[in-house]
Amino acid sequence: MSKRPFLIPFLVPAILVAVIFLAALAEILQYSLREFIPGSLDVGGFTLDNFARIYRPVYFKAVINTFVLSLATAFFTLILSYPIAFALVRTKVEWVRTLLILLSITPLFTGEIVRTYAWMLVLGTNGFLNTMLLDIGVISEPVTFMYTRAGVVIALVQFAMPVMIIILATAISHINTDYEKAAANLGARPWTVITRVVIPLTMPGIISGFIVIFAWTMSAFATPQLIGGGKVLMISNAIYLQGFSALNFPFAATLSVIALISAFASLALMKLIANRLERQTAIH
Amino acid sequence: MNTNNSGHSVDIVEVTKTFANVTAVHKVSLNIRKGEFMTLLGPSGCGKTTLLNMVAGFETQTSGAIRIDGKDISDVPPFMRETGMVFQSYALFPHMNVFDNIAFGLRMRKLPAKEIKAEVERALDMMKLSGMEGRRVRQLSGGQQQRIALARAIVIRPKVLLLDEPLSALDKNLRLQMQVELKELHQKTGLTTIFVTHDQGEALSLSDRVVVMSRGEVQQVSAPIELYTQPANGFVASFIGEINALPKARCQKSGQDFRFEVCPEISLNGRQPARLELKDGQMVHIFIRPEHIEIAGPRHNGANIVKGNVAAHIYQGTHTQTRVNVPGIGLVELRTKGAAAIDQAPLGSEIALSVPLDEAVILPA
Amino acid sequence: MWRQTLFWVIVSCILFYMTIPAIVVVMTSFNPGEILSFPPNGFSLRWYEKALTYPDFRGAFRTGLIVALISSTLALVIGTSFAFLVVRYVFPGKNLLEGILSSPLIIPHFTTGFGFLLLGAHLNLNQTLTIIIMTHVVLVLPFVARAVYVSLLNIDPNFERSAANLGASPFMVLSRITVPLIIPGMAGGWLVASILSLTEFSASLYVTASRTQTLPVAMYNYIREYTDPTVAAVSALLIIATMLILMAANHFLGLRKILAIDSH
Ligand SMILES: Nc1ncnc2c1ncn2[C@@H]1O[C@H](COP(=O)(O)OP(=O)(O)OP(=O)(O)O)[C@@H](O)[C@H]1O
Ligand SMILES: [Mg+2]
Repeated sequence: MSKRPFLIPFLVPAILVAVIFLAALAEILQYSLREFIPGSLDVGGFTLDNFARIYRPVYFKAVINTFVLSLATAFFTLILSYPIAFALVRTKVEWVRTLLILLSITPLFTGEIVRTYAWMLVLGTNGFLNTMLLDIGVISEPVTFMYTRAGVVIALVQFAMPVMIIILATAISHINTDYEKAAANLGARPWTVITRVVIPLTMPGIISGFIVIFAWTMSAFATPQLIGGGKVLMISNAIYLQGFSALNFPFAATLSVIALISAFASLALMKLIANRLERQTAIH
Repeated sequence: MNTNNSGHSVDIVEVTKTFANVTAVHKVSLNIRKGEFMTLLGPSGCGKTTLLNMVAGFETQTSGAIRIDGKDISDVPPFMRETGMVFQSYALFPHMNVFDNIAFGLRMRKLPAKEIKAEVERALDMMKLSGMEGRRVRQLSGGQQQRIALARAIVIRPKVLLLDEPLSALDKNLRLQMQVELKELHQKTGLTTIFVTHDQGEALSLSDRVVVMSRGEVQQVSAPIELYTQPANGFVASFIGEINALPKARCQKSGQDFRFEVCPEISLNGRQPARLELKDGQMVHIFIRPEHIEIAGPRHNGANIVKGNVAAHIYQGTHTQTRVNVPGIGLVELRTKGAAAIDQAPLGSEIALSVPLDEAVILPA
Repeated sequence: MWRQTLFWVIVSCILFYMTIPAIVVVMTSFNPGEILSFPPNGFSLRWYEKALTYPDFRGAFRTGLIVALISSTLALVIGTSFAFLVVRYVFPGKNLLEGILSSPLIIPHFTTGFGFLLLGAHLNLNQTLTIIIMTHVVLVLPFVARAVYVSLLNIDPNFERSAANLGASPFMVLSRITVPLIIPGMAGGWLVASILSLTEFSASLYVTASRTQTLPVAMYNYIREYTDPTVAAVSALLIIATMLILMAANHFLGLRKILAIDSH
């Protein structure tokens, strides 16, 4: 009688999935080292030329763009999500709580396309926002949101908020309200309680939320594709362009490898910074 | 349930269990007789649960053997061991009602539905739970959950009943009541029972024999009375009930007379202890229970009298526990009936105590 | 007092920002004209009619539903058994396997999709349902495994021991005790997995062809070619369906519990 009777039957499917996934990633690696034969989907022999092409300004810019947009998105997402998360955890009115949770979670489940399309309707030259602003008379000419970084970030932040809200709300719900009461009892004003007690205590949540959103935004595709419209190029869009317009699979694969490496590298970097920060805040 | 299923013996032979770097159970040997109520008693972390888990098959011993009716069961998986275990947390299945919980073991044995129904009803009846079949376990009180856990374990007619601190989650009154019921249940079923507790009162009142454990090792295996009156070592003496440990004393033997020199100023008269052959000049430990020390009065003839100052009175209703600081010995506790001692010997006053060694425990140092 | 008011005004503004796209989509979907206009100059269901009869959308919805059902169910089985292994057993390579299977959370979807496109070409499964389902299983597996993992951690191991003690074989313990106790986690995980699969876009774009496209891919293709509000109608339907499902989930399972948000 084995002590672990289910080990083999339960392990086999998991290993199978892992192997398939690794095979898919290995394919990318393999293609990234192949020679591109223009006009053909077949690939040539092994070469390192694809990686040399990366240094061209376009691709370099795409990498930088991805990094900057992800950083900006994570930052604004954090700022906007915190009040919602706080309200969600601390309100005592049941219907407000239910409303808050439904409104803030739904965007997570509607998918990239629906959300991006909706933002196109809002941000377009003849879209909701411009029409409203023109009607009120705030502006006399339509403002260009589409095809700008600002437009992309406005849309990305809204997608990212549900996940951030969940992470922050979990962190906030774990603080014992006695700390806040104690601070208030000692004479701290509400704002001071928030900045000196609540925010430091939720620092781990803030940091992990920031990192998760950063990583999540690095893999955005539909939004920069449709709202950026080719003018705001992220790595994802560059890969698509190479793969589907130029049909240069080897180079698309090379860019994917770069995307993968920069995703893991920047995550590692952020973890490093986060650990520093956490150690510092832990002292206070 | 029925008495003819009773009487399976359990032999634990030199069993040792080592986790990564902790030895939880060390060379434990016990013979539990047919139909015996055996209690494992010891402080938290001494390995009681680990030992029980090995009997039930949830843990495998590192070395040694466990036998039921003389047959080694080391290779028998838990679900074929036919031990009935009651967990401290009861572990009643939350997604089943009372009936399904009790019927679970019978269903696993593929009994016909009619028989299962009859057996479950009989068990419920025995545990005074008739009419509760359809209840969800969350809707039950602690005492009821306790009874259901017991019913669930005995309905499968186990060879051994294993009880891991089953009463510790109950409040005091309920605990006393359940002690009585457990005793009755044991008499009715005659099941060989291993009971785990760290409550000595429970152990002394319920058991045929008690095993005192400490740090994974057996300290003593005895009937309750013997455990109290003749502890095998200092650990057992101080673990069971309250006891005063006097400083190491030197035995002075002349013929049949024994004197024990506790300190230069104090020597106490005694006699040959029950199971110890004392030599002249040997060092011994003397333990004496608070109820055996008295405040000295006219009827005490001057021998074994020590003097000290009253340091504290702790009034406990039926009796008063008095702490006396005796120079050369230290704090000595005595127990007197009612509250008389509080008036008789005010705090700080000097009193004389009679310390007879007739019932003292004397162990070699 | 004014602080409270200010706080709730800010919260309302942020919520407005979060919901405005959905509101605009619904408004647009009822707009009678081809050109989007605000405020709407009438009310019409013509885009709903077009959306529901448009063959591409119908086909894509069916494909997407099949893919979502199969892949989330496969992920449920594989994820549940894997979570069980992680919680109950120790075996060599456990951490490595955990790392590989949860990495799709970090690896960009388009990378995963591109990888499976190349793998599909290699295996002659190019853009078939098989490769699409494989991709989706990989993508949603971490969510199911996580949900089940959390429920497994929350059950008292003595339930399983007790069942074994009463004579239940390992298989019986699993089917009568463990699985019934983690059903809520499995249901939540399965639900999240199927919604994520239904709405997955970036990876699907790579592994599907026009024959096998899923709904988000079909919508993307439509947006690139036409500017009329048909997609708004589809989007509105999806948003409302999601809302309803979440409300039901909130009612029966408790979203706060699924998401582990609870004040102490
Ligand atoms: N699975 C385990 N892994 C490592 N150490 C363990 C394990 N189980 C028990 N131990 C250790 O073995 C020792 C005995 O534990 P055990 O649970 O048997 O004590 P116990 O006598 O039942 O205590 P209590 O009265 O608190 O229930 C303890 O030091 C404990 O920390
Ligand atoms: Mg224990």
